[in-house]
Amino acid sequence: MVTVKKVQRRNLQTQSYIPSLLKGLGFTFSKMIKNLFNQDKMPTLNYPEEKYDYSPRFKGNHVLTVKKDGALRCTACMLCATNCPADCINIVASEHTDPAVEKFPIHYEIDVLRCVYCGFCEEACPVDAIRMGPEWQTAGVNGSVFNYDIKELAHRPGLKGGAVSRVDDLERHKAGI
Amino acid sequence: MFKCTINGHEVEVPEGASVIEAFKLLKEDIAHYCWHPGLSIAGVCRLCMVQIDDGPRLHIACNTLVKDGMKITNQTEVVKEAVRWGMDFHLINHPLDCPICDQAGECGLQEQYMKYGQYDSSMAEKKVKKRKVVDLGERVVLDSERCILCSRCVRFTDEVTKTNELGIFNRGDHSEIGTFEDQPLDNKYSLNTVDICPVGALTSKDFRFQQRVWYLKDTDSICTGCSTGCSIKVYHNKEGLFRVKPVFNEKVNGHWMCDEGRDLYKHVNAPVRLKQILKSVGNEWFPLGLERALDHLNEAFSKAENISVLITAQHTVEEYKALKNWAQQLQDKTINFVYWKNNPESFDSFDGLLIRGDKNPNTKGLLEAGFEFADASVLDSSDLVLAPMPENPAVYPKYMEKLEQLSKLQTQLCLLSVSNITQHETINFADGTLAIPMKTAFEKAGHFINHQGLTQKIHKGRVIVKAALGLDELLQAIKIGKWIQPQLLKSRKTNESSKVSGELW
Repeated sequence: MVTVKKVQRRNLQTQSYIPSLLKGLGFTFSKMIKNLFNQDKMPTLNYPEEKYDYSPRFKGNHVLTVKKDGALRCTACMLCATNCPADCINIVASEHTDPAVEKFPIHYEIDVLRCVYCGFCEEACPVDAIRMGPEWQTAGVNGSVFNYDIKELAHRPGLKGGAVSRVDDLERHKAGI
Repeated sequence: MFKCTINGHEVEVPEGASVIEAFKLLKEDIAHYCWHPGLSIAGVCRLCMVQIDDGPRLHIACNTLVKDGMKITNQTEVVKEAVRWGMDFHLINHPLDCPICDQAGECGLQEQYMKYGQYDSSMAEKKVKKRKVVDLGERVVLDSERCILCSRCVRFTDEVTKTNELGIFNRGDHSEIGTFEDQPLDNKYSLNTVDICPVGALTSKDFRFQQRVWYLKDTDSICTGCSTGCSIKVYHNKEGLFRVKPVFNEKVNGHWMCDEGRDLYKHVNAPVRLKQILKSVGNEWFPLGLERALDHLNEAFSKAENISVLITAQHTVEEYKALKNWAQQLQDKTINFVYWKNNPESFDSFDGLLIRGDKNPNTKGLLEAGFEFADASVLDSSDLVLAPMPENPAVYPKYMEKLEQLSKLQTQLCLLSVSNITQHETINFADGTLAIPMKTAFEKAGHFINHQGLTQKIHKGRVIVKAALGLDELLQAIKIGKWIQPQLLKSRKTNESSKVSGELW
């Protein structure tokens, strides 16, 4: 079956584009002049010189928290890796020399290119060892820099000495929990 | 036989059976920690509460015998309330250790907690702290904080191994499991205590922190450690094999297996395996494709007049059958079979429980296959020796010595090896010796006949070395000149670990 479509012919209204063009340009230039003289009210940012601060609840780059003594809080329970829908967390557990610690990760790696930033790891963690921080600029020159290891996750310069976990074993022990 | 009704279902049980056995017979859910079908009754966990004939008081199912016409239920609110409070008592001093506890995922406490947990602690007192990470000898680690004092492990050492190492020390909430003056727990069945521990108090040093149990899958198999042939489950994932646990088999091993058998997965994992076909030329090994290797073998077999097969009882019934057929087809050659035993002086020994001196799973199978065995001296006059090596060369020290002797005589060998034979730098193999990677019992399907003459099936589990061949597959490949991977043949039986977790403890 052949369907015949009626093509709309040009008329004066569609042909005369000049007034509309001038109208659009007028809007653009009026905004430009307005912004030039009121730069503080301008809604856009001069990235990368100026940056937007997201709220602390923003799910950005992962942070591994540390204990008060600076050691990694993570107990290598693998719950984050189990919960991870992108299967991007790789942990190798080992026995700690201190029996009070018992288990800790000797290897903790997140492949952030696989990560979907869902925050399920943060939710699964029973000891507040992994958080998703407000950092979001994750540029890199090749694929290998996107495998974040313990050094990157817990001790990167941006963390200024590391984020301290809210769950402290020693305090829990003293409280008799 | 007595008839009784459990939760509305009628069941017939033999006289003298306990109520919990009737529940198990019916596969009806019942909470319990201290009762174990292979041990005596302790009645200490107070969790298997049941209501009988609308009586005013509850009974523990493990220590109550079924009488004819009994009406038993554990579904009433009274029973559930009792179990709930029983659970609460168990959890009073239990630490919040699940993240670092190896038992998590197959833990009795976790399982019952999901059904009967109170979720909020109502204790005003502090938890009693006990010893953690106690070294209990070569294989077991104790965490007495996690222990709920079900006494299964104590009864195990009392009743099964009769070594009496473990006991409960101190009184009240300071009670804890331990050994007298911290002497090591060093019997040959010590890891069974880890299996029967319903919580994570006893953990295996070997498996400790290696994997979380929910990452593992299991395959039913037979232990290849000795001629007892215990039924086992092998736990594995894509990183390899991680542990071996016994499966209840009334005729063979009951509920138990020995510690030695649990180590057998180690020689299967990739780091120690021979991964490709190698050919020895001038004391050096060179990799060889399968087609080239088969050409080489065919040539060697056609040249050789006097062929010997140095066989052990470590292969399946099917492989022996294939070997027999292969020998019948080469009637123009002299083929001698030499049956090599491990440790002949202790071959017939038995420790009274499970461990036998015959370290082969299929001695009966080999003898029943109908080979005529020649004396070992024929090996020295052979042109070519086909040596399907034992899977675990550690139990066959003399086998390696024999190979060394043969290599000194410059006899050409065709080795089928699981372990990486090229690491034996002391042996200088003759030129043209082939080392072919062999499948382990966990990678092939087949049958073993144990010392009682019981034929047991092994299932194909995870394949670790893809290039590995079974003895039968190699012989078939030699016959037709190439090897076709039987991709359609799937005899794999893999269960999700979580499905059977209830049976583990």
